[in-house]
Amino acid sequence: MTSASRWARYGAALGVAGLVLVAGCAKGTTPDAAGGTGGAAGGEVDQNAPVTITVGDRPTPDKPNDIKALDQKIKDFTAKYPNITVKSTETNWQAQTFQAQVAGGTLPTVMSISFTEPANMIPNKQLPDITDELKLVDLTKDLNPNVLKIVQDGKGRIYGVPIDVFSVGLAYNRALFTQAGLDPDKPPTTWDEVRQYAKQIADKTGKAGYAQLTTNNTGGWMLTTMTYSLGGTIESADGKKSTFDDAPTKKALQLLKDMRWTDNSMGSKFLYNQEEIRQDFAAGKIGMLMQAPDAYDMSVKNFGMKPADFGAGALPQDGGPHGTLTGGALKMISPKATKNEIVAALKWIKFEQFDKYTTEASAVADAKTTIADKGFVGRPGITPLSQDRYDQYNKWREPYVNVPVKQFQGYIDSTSSLKLLPEPSNKGQEVYSLLDPLVQQVLTKKDADVGKLVSDAASKVDARLAR
Amino acid sequence: MTWYRSGGLSSVFFVLPLLLIFLYFSWGPIVRGLVLSFQKNNLVAPAEWVGWANFSYVLTDPQLPQAALNTLYFAFLALLFGFPVPLFLAVFVSELRRTGWLYNVLSYLPAVVPPVAAILLWKFFYDPSGAGVFNAILGWFGIGPFAWLNSQSLAMPAIVLEATWAGAGATSIIYLAALTGVRTELYEAAELDGSGIWSRVWHVTLPQIRGIILIMMLLQLIGTFQVFTEPFLFTGGGPNDATTTILLLIYRYAFINGDFGAATALSVLLAGVLCALSIVYHFVTRRWSTT
Repeated sequence: MTSASRWARYGAALGVAGLVLVAGCAKGTTPDAAGGTGGAAGGEVDQNAPVTITVGDRPTPDKPNDIKALDQKIKDFTAKYPNITVKSTETNWQAQTFQAQVAGGTLPTVMSISFTEPANMIPNKQLPDITDELKLVDLTKDLNPNVLKIVQDGKGRIYGVPIDVFSVGLAYNRALFTQAGLDPDKPPTTWDEVRQYAKQIADKTGKAGYAQLTTNNTGGWMLTTMTYSLGGTIESADGKKSTFDDAPTKKALQLLKDMRWTDNSMGSKFLYNQEEIRQDFAAGKIGMLMQAPDAYDMSVKNFGMKPADFGAGALPQDGGPHGTLTGGALKMISPKATKNEIVAALKWIKFEQFDKYTTEASAVADAKTTIADKGFVGRPGITPLSQDRYDQYNKWREPYVNVPVKQFQGYIDSTSSLKLLPEPSNKGQEVYSLLDPLVQQVLTKKDADVGKLVSDAASKVDARLAR
Repeated sequence: MTWYRSGGLSSVFFVLPLLLIFLYFSWGPIVRGLVLSFQKNNLVAPAEWVGWANFSYVLTDPQLPQAALNTLYFAFLALLFGFPVPLFLAVFVSELRRTGWLYNVLSYLPAVVPPVAAILLWKFFYDPSGAGVFNAILGWFGIGPFAWLNSQSLAMPAIVLEATWAGAGATSIIYLAALTGVRTELYEAAELDGSGIWSRVWHVTLPQIRGIILIMMLLQLIGTFQVFTEPFLFTGGGPNDATTTILLLIYRYAFINGDFGAATALSVLLAGVLCALSIVYHFVTRRWSTT
């Protein structure tokens, strides 16, 4: 072999090796969160500096009108703020993959996430402190202070922007109510009534009178909701200890046990996640279940439930109105965002989410695109803003309402009478996952010992909270 | 330096990229996992060394004994049901000279169905009401209805049944390949000695492929200890944690709790147990192995 060809071979091989090395090291040179390029640590805000933000939750291609609306919004936004470039991605929040996205650093600058997340993310430093920037873009005063608590730490600093709020109520099938001889306009408001109605529905129609979520942390979530409605709590105020080893949680479990084994009014399926239970509910196999009113969307749109069959009542109470669990969505900002990016992101959130509440034209345009994409206008909920502003907004949209609001009357009445109780403040999803088996146990094991179950779970939860 | 003159350096240069790729992508994650298991790390805030704290935490987690028992139970059931089925299938198919291909296809087909789709389908079979597919069939004979996945005692066997169905085809293809290597003279000799089909299988087929059988058993053991998809999609670990496996626990640590330290610590422990198991298995079976 000639020496020239040998050197050519060395060169080629070296080149490949070099490329691999570069690829290998690339990760090491990426700025990390703490000492990022002018990141959260320092730097003055320059509102006119050119900045690029990525926004998540881009609608999927099956919603062309939503995409068009978003693209138009981006266009209008960048016309107003020429120094900001907006890119959009379809990344969205999923409970099962979200932590991986956070860890992988693949989050867009702005994205919607669930209310359960900030309680863990704030102490983990996975959310940036945006209190000062919020004042800069003049958004703080618009927000409902009760709801804002979800995204605040002990010192009142703010780490996200709530945009959508719900509280749990009782969804019920009006057709099954009628078949069972019950008045579909009078959903039960106490747990005793729920038990009676469930038995009546099961006896008369052969369907499950009442069904309960049980898997993927929803079992714990709904046990928490029931505990709240019976006057109990899950965690102490500081989130350091469990507080559910007492009467309300035991009563909740005993009630489920009685409905399951004594009345036999809960059907035969006891491993339900959110999607499966809505599917069976939409198919007319379930009389009643705890759901927020947004269950309407999936039940009707994805699973073909007749709108006339959907009813939403108050969360049943026992021994006085205690309250109902609230949840919702907020806009989070990536912990890797620079100060300039945070300000740009907040301007975007204000423009995209809140302008529709302040101008009639945006409110109407929003309603029209929703309808064009077969979405729903006018489904009752709770406002992330002041009540006056929300009422005004609803008035503008009245002509476009396409949801049978009257069938939500029971729920609507409860939004003024029931206290809104936030989810457990410390490690909410972990606690829920430890509570799942309790609900499953009373529903699948006839001789389950409620007292022992609860005290065992309490010690598990305490161990977890102490970590 | 003769190896250098004869072109040794160029082979080093050629091997280097492959080696680096292998090290970075194959061993990099393993090393990274080891490092993570000694850290408090959510991959956003700066990592913090915590020594053995993650290990002591996962080892004292009250959920661990249950998960370990469930995993062992799954492995035991999978070995009991899942191990003989593909072997039987392979021997059966290989005996069918003319239409063998048809049975071959039929037995391999389940492996082609994507696991998630298969599990959703089986979930539908396992519907606990009297109208569920399995319950309806059993109902014709006056049996049931069974709660299947909704029962603490039936959930795990039900999952193993699906896993066996899904995995048998792929495994039996490997056995079939091994069976083609068995010399036909042995069968002819056996037949001349007047042995029937069962005797031929017992005295010729099985001893001839025992090397493969031993390997497949080890692979299956390791595989069953890492079961995740089935319990995750079928039951989410329920009812009452009856199907919560070690891997499901690891998943919860990482993706529900955002506690990557605990998740990797438990993974490292599991990997250690599997290594030890493989070594013990190797020594125990050395006597019978053909290789």
